[in-house]
Amino acid sequence: MYNLMADILINVCLAFLFGSLLLGLHRKVMARVQLRPGPPLIQYLLHSLKFFFKESSWPKTISKPFYIAITVILCAIWVTGIIVGPVLKGSLMIIFGIYAVHKIVEHNSGSSSGSPYGKLSCVRAVFSASSELLLFASVALLYLITHTMDIGAIITYQQVHGPLIYKAPLLALMFFMIIVTKAPYSPFSITTGKDIISGFETEHFGFLRGYIMLSESIMWYVLLWLFLTIFFGPISLLWIFIGMIIITIITGFISAITPMLNPNHSVMSQLSIALICAIGTIIPIMI
Amino acid sequence: MNKLKIVSIILLIISTIAILYGLIFNPADWIVITIAIIFIPFFILSFGLLSMAKPKKDEKEERIQEPFIGY
Repeated sequence: MYNLMADILINVCLAFLFGSLLLGLHRKVMARVQLRPGPPLIQYLLHSLKFFFKESSWPKTISKPFYIAITVILCAIWVTGIIVGPVLKGSLMIIFGIYAVHKIVEHNSGSSSGSPYGKLSCVRAVFSASSELLLFASVALLYLITHTMDIGAIITYQQVHGPLIYKAPLLALMFFMIIVTKAPYSPFSITTGKDIISGFETEHFGFLRGYIMLSESIMWYVLLWLFLTIFFGPISLLWIFIGMIIITIITGFISAITPMLNPNHSVMSQLSIALICAIGTIIPIMI
Repeated sequence: MNKLKIVSIILLIISTIAILYGLIFNPADWIVITIAIIFIPFFILSFGLLSMAKPKKDEKEERIQEPFIGY
């Protein structure tokens, strides 16, 4: 008999473990490109677990209920991402909502800390939402092609018409830019830029940092799963894992060789990519 | 026992019971989804609040005074 809770728990654990290993691979690729040995693959996973036992205290500058609650919300939205994505193959609109809330979490995590670095990151989160959400609005273009927002139905559509990556490559590029944006040390990750220490995460240290890292590894898994499912159709779990590894290597390479852009350039680049890809996708549909 | 520890223990017990209820009794989908979205994050949070090391009494003031501690 099918047990939904067991399915959710297995998927959450899988997303955390595999997502952490992928982020470890990301760091490794960056290091190798920069001619450094880099940390072992399991370093990100070990860090996440280690921080649960590290000394934690509450800085005087924080707004305590908010400071803790925001980490719970981050975890809750990406557990929802697992449920709507790999478990139920539900609506893309909910995933869009989750992504929008993720921007709010970045904003509020920075502002609840009381740290100037957090506050700067909080301003940048609002700034970057204008472009990142536009990129994620690629789901609207997906609707124009497939006439559905349901992930399960999009998979079925691709069974009949072939993978969407061939039909709408620029749309896939738009979605890929979201993944690049969320990759650590990416040229567009202005909210966690090293010029503002760790941005909105600066004041979340000890256990809460481990908690955030756990949620971020789940986020990475969900975003990669979405990209592969939406643009490559019905592929087996093995091919999804292989695809995730390949995308992580590509994003690691991009992060290693590209300097972090300043906020203005980051937003303008993302807006330009969104505009070009949207027009390039709409014109063939109209013709 | 301080307030945070008591709240964490209560939260850990409630979230464990809720998750086990969803796992064993397999209720309607919307109940399982609600339990998963609310209680999985609370389970991790309460576990972390209990497992984290606390600063020593004489060091506590120094820790909370030290802002922008970073990574």
